[in-house]
Amino acid sequence: MAESIADVIVVGVGGLGGILAKELSSAGLKVVGFERGPAPQKEDYAPRDSIRFLVRPEKLDWVRHEPTTTRRRTGEKATLQYRTSPLNVLGGALLHWTGQSSRYMPDDFKLYTHEIASGNAERARADLSGYDIIDWPIGYADLEPYYEKFEWEFGVSGQAGTNPFAGPRKRGFPLPPLRHSARMKLFAEACQKLGYHPYDTAAGIASAPYKPAAPFDDRIPERPACVYCGHCNFYGCHVHAKSASLYITIPVALGTGNFELKTNAKVFRLNIESGDRLSGVSYFDPAGTVHEQKARVVILSAFVFEHARLLLISKTGKGRFARGVANSSGYVGRNIMAHGDVRAMGVFDDYIINGFIGPGSAAIRIDDFNGNNFDHAGLGFIRGGTIGTSGEGTPVTRFDVLPPGVPTWGKEFKEFYTRYYTRTMDLNMQPETLPHSANRVDLDARQRDRWGLPLPRVTFEFHQNEQRLQKFMAGVGEKIMRATGASRVWSEEKGRPNRWAGGTRMGADPRTSVVNDQCQAHDIDNLFIVGSSVFPTMAGYPPTATVAALSYRLADFILAQKNWFK
Amino acid sequence: MSEQEKPRVFTEHERLIVCAIAERIFPTTDSPGAVEIGALDYVETALAGDYAAQAPLYRQGVRAVDRYARARFEKVFLRLTDAEKDAVLRDFEAGVPVFFKQAAEFFETLRYHVLEGVFCEPQYGGNKDMIGWRLVNFPGQQFGYDDAYVNRRVDLKPVSVDYRKNGTK
Repeated sequence: MAESIADVIVVGVGGLGGILAKELSSAGLKVVGFERGPAPQKEDYAPRDSIRFLVRPEKLDWVRHEPTTTRRRTGEKATLQYRTSPLNVLGGALLHWTGQSSRYMPDDFKLYTHEIASGNAERARADLSGYDIIDWPIGYADLEPYYEKFEWEFGVSGQAGTNPFAGPRKRGFPLPPLRHSARMKLFAEACQKLGYHPYDTAAGIASAPYKPAAPFDDRIPERPACVYCGHCNFYGCHVHAKSASLYITIPVALGTGNFELKTNAKVFRLNIESGDRLSGVSYFDPAGTVHEQKARVVILSAFVFEHARLLLISKTGKGRFARGVANSSGYVGRNIMAHGDVRAMGVFDDYIINGFIGPGSAAIRIDDFNGNNFDHAGLGFIRGGTIGTSGEGTPVTRFDVLPPGVPTWGKEFKEFYTRYYTRTMDLNMQPETLPHSANRVDLDARQRDRWGLPLPRVTFEFHQNEQRLQKFMAGVGEKIMRATGASRVWSEEKGRPNRWAGGTRMGADPRTSVVNDQCQAHDIDNLFIVGSSVFPTMAGYPPTATVAALSYRLADFILAQKNWFK
Repeated sequence: MSEQEKPRVFTEHERLIVCAIAERIFPTTDSPGAVEIGALDYVETALAGDYAAQAPLYRQGVRAVDRYARARFEKVFLRLTDAEKDAVLRDFEAGVPVFFKQAAEFFETLRYHVLEGVFCEPQYGGNKDMIGWRLVNFPGQQFGYDDAYVNRRVDLKPVSVDYRKNGTK
């Protein structure tokens, strides 16, 4: 197919690229997928080996070849950072994700309207200087059918009707919630005592053997139920209970005969045809030889950092794309966001938690402090975040989880850790981060990757709204933890960035956004970008269910453009 | 791991000092300490492989520990009492030795590596006979758990899996 014109090129065959490949190839379109990483074997991703996946992740082939550089603010020197979120492997980060499959709330799509125009921010006395907040051009109702499709194709476990803050849904979950652990039980009881509204987290982990049936895609193979091994977040699943494109969508796509998959193939340039269209992409094959692939449509599904980098690298000498492809607004790379999760911990003298029993996404959660679900008057910030149990963790990943005052080494440390390793429980808060103009991705002028391409340079720090919100959330976490009966409670009130979003945001106004409501570049009709990079704002939940829904919706949009593929 | 398979990165003197530090980080009490659990084999295996870039920090750090011990207590580190060793290590942890600006980094690196060696999957050379796991009541690389063990000690026999030999089950 190399010389011929494909219908669709998918750049990045990860969790989302897999969805697009399946949907488009099943409808008869000729799809070529480029994945910069390898096709992993089970022995590569499924060992229950915490040194490999949690202690030394930067040594994984899927991580070490594609670092970014990072700094907190403009003017500082950016240093190399290895990241596990854009996992460079077939199937992508859905191979090792936690599984938390929360839908966003209807309110999460309309921050400008609900927070600024409404006067909420003013009543909260929030300081929003430097932030750049717009509404999404789509809302919950646009995504609802696609959330459903994701849940029923990928086999999400959960319980409808138990979270009073959730948006309406037409259908329940295909699978019941995962088994309750000690931490779930204690958290649920504490939240009830405090008058909150605990519910079972929607989890992309099969609580029972699962195979989709009509009207959903019944070509997807059956998967077994979770065995609760506790080697889940950052590991591939050794029984395939975790919802992953590698064994859900990608085999179906390959089975159509319409999907040509190129692994270890690195796309390094988007090629401009003439006027406002792309002709296709240029890529390195595994031997480093340059090739070109032409296509009618190009979709980027390669994560936040790579999207910005590829658009910026592909700039032309002059004319419309001199600042980068699809960058007439100057918004490519701007307003990146990341959650700054904070934790509250407790240890128990008289209760055994056994936190190593998994999976982490078998969790109870509350949204009483998420979004705009609580009164912000005078708090000094807007928004909130979901709060839930978190867990797992072999002993080699937990020896720094110690209450203040317990030494980190020596006899006293040993006594503490040997007694309390099985008696420690964590709560995880996922406070929303707002889009701030100073946070961005651009190209590093000095450091290059193995292909000689400039590394993406990430400039990011939490600003005033995040700092206040994170501190508040840690306090709520401590309060709940005390209500569980823990003997000692403490928290970390400063988040570390994870779960990235932004950089090619979606918007109604082409002057201040990169793609439109269909994930289509404002500047280029046949270029689409999908993933959390299109989020104008990021909600207090992980992005996975929402980016999957966006991918299914994008596939429908492309398939509706019949005259493009005649 | 047989004696021949053990990688040797340290000189004998360096190894003695690293062992002495490891024993202060995770000391022998009424249960085994870091050295018996195999933390040193873990550290040397790692320094011969994934952590090779940190070998120079160890070399310099070990020399600095001896130098600082002499300056503060007029004895080489190995001859210090446990309390004196702890005092030296606390100073390293706080970055006190002005002649070695990586003092705090060295101590923190070593602390991490030693505790990794105590609690790692045994295929990495440490956590011999899963002693580290037994000490904290972690039953190892279980295939799964049939029960949630709510407020109950997990009474399963600990399991380790060497994926280099057995593939993925």
